[in-house]
Amino acid sequence: MSLAVEPTDGVDTLDRRPGDDELVAARLVARRKPGQWISALVALVAVAALVHSVLTNPHFQWDVVRYFFLRPSILEGLLLTIWLTVAVVVSGYILGIGLAVMRLSRNPVLATVSFGFVWFFRSVPPLVQLLLWSNLASLYPTLSLDVPFVHHFATIHTAHLFTALLAAYVGLTLDVAAFSAEIIRGGLLSVENGQSEAAKSLGLGKARIFWRIVLPQAMPAIVPASGNMVIGMLKATSIISVLAAHDLLHSVQLIYEQNYLIIPLLLVATIWYIILTTVLSIGQYFVERHYARGKGGPAPRGLWEVARGSLPFAGTVRRDLAGLV
Amino acid sequence: MTPALVRIRGLHKHFGRHQVLEGIDLDVPAGSVTVLLGPSGSGKSTLLRCVNHLEKPDAGFVEVGGEIIGYRRDGERLRELPDRAVTRQRAKIGMVFQQFNLFPHKTVLENIVEGQLAAGVRRKAAESRASELLAKVGLAGREASYPRQLSGGQQQRVAIARAVANDPQLILFDEPTSALDPEMVGEVLGVMKDLAAAGLTMIVVTHEIGFAREAADQVVFLDGGRIVEAGPPGEVLANPRNERARAFLSAVL
Repeated sequence: MSLAVEPTDGVDTLDRRPGDDELVAARLVARRKPGQWISALVALVAVAALVHSVLTNPHFQWDVVRYFFLRPSILEGLLLTIWLTVAVVVSGYILGIGLAVMRLSRNPVLATVSFGFVWFFRSVPPLVQLLLWSNLASLYPTLSLDVPFVHHFATIHTAHLFTALLAAYVGLTLDVAAFSAEIIRGGLLSVENGQSEAAKSLGLGKARIFWRIVLPQAMPAIVPASGNMVIGMLKATSIISVLAAHDLLHSVQLIYEQNYLIIPLLLVATIWYIILTTVLSIGQYFVERHYARGKGGPAPRGLWEVARGSLPFAGTVRRDLAGLV
Repeated sequence: MTPALVRIRGLHKHFGRHQVLEGIDLDVPAGSVTVLLGPSGSGKSTLLRCVNHLEKPDAGFVEVGGEIIGYRRDGERLRELPDRAVTRQRAKIGMVFQQFNLFPHKTVLENIVEGQLAAGVRRKAAESRASELLAKVGLAGREASYPRQLSGGQQQRVAIARAVANDPQLILFDEPTSALDPEMVGEVLGVMKDLAAAGLTMIVVTHEIGFAREAADQVVFLDGGRIVEAGPPGEVLANPRNERARAFLSAVL
């Protein structure tokens, strides 16, 4: 660069050199990136080898997979897995919202109780909890419903009440409650105080402020972590198979214990879990898009556009590859 | 002078060891504009926030329209009102914030409708009132925009429309132009002057001396949590008797 010291009165006084015009007219060529080509090739070969081996290895027994995939007993297990997940997540999150609000309240007793709950149930592994709940009978042989010291309603034997399924429901719900409470608390803290002050000054009541102003703004921070949580819980329901509750995993176990076709039947369960997780991920995408209203960002895209953008050699990937050439 | 809509008596407030308000006595006549001036930390905003009970005073009281805000008298005590009653009182006192505090997840229309719905207005009536107000603040047709799509000055005008939607008897402005780019200050002050001309009772914390001179009926100068000077803008702004007020005014003018 030349440092012209004389006063300039327009372009004419700029330092002109021969060759400048060619440089201005020249086409700009991006740097070649051979490393990216090589690594992409290696990855492609590895994936191709994997797919080839999965498809050609007879031990996978794809015909067996196909045969069992839609068997009624498998579908029954699938149904249990689905509704247990839904029940656990819904009740867990209702509890979690309560715990998060308690933790953030000015009442030190409520805040401490919430803290204690979260501390305890985050510490105990779900499987251990499950076993504890299903063995509650040895701790409290009978449970009774009454107003302390005043009136007695009913007594039942704990062992009759706590079936494997109820133990699973209670244990997993408390687990979800503890983890979701922390996710929700983080989301609530991310909303500026000015929002509830503005709502208060408009004459909105406490409940209205929470449900209509604060919680919707906390959602963008809550949803991604919750997506992880729900998918984790979908898979975590498989631990109830140790209590012989008839979920997806247990239903394939029952079959392969008889016919010893272990791998293909585990594949049946795996594929179903993958399908459910995919559905949940798609749902998460739409929930995230819903709560991104007013955030600015790019215009919301439909599912098809997103899916096509992720296909190899179309959309995003094709653009990226074009950048390599 | 018209009877006072707002009566503040013996108001004290501290945060930790810091005494923010040390006995404020102030009357705001109905239909008048009161501008609170003073250096930062003088307690202007805290005083304003005590008026709609966003801050609880340690002693003293604020009365708006004959009702003590946030408390009810019980012999020798003032007992704090339940949330529901405070909410009802706040609905009649609008507030405009320095940072606008529009609800970012709601459209402009929904922002202005929200407080009306809480007050029991039917959605349809609330929406047509909201559109009317938007036109008044010069934003007709922007109903479906989200706050982030508007400039600062436009957002603050929406916030003003939102604050007056419930026909408040009093509206509080907490440094409404301090977060704005200079070229947008005028449009917001213009809307505020319209409201003042329409007879709305306003208490305004601001550093805009020009606004105080043109629109205020009463200028109150705070320093160290006390009112050190109060009166018509002509007197207080032209030749302040108080030393601190004089220093402050010569610094900002």
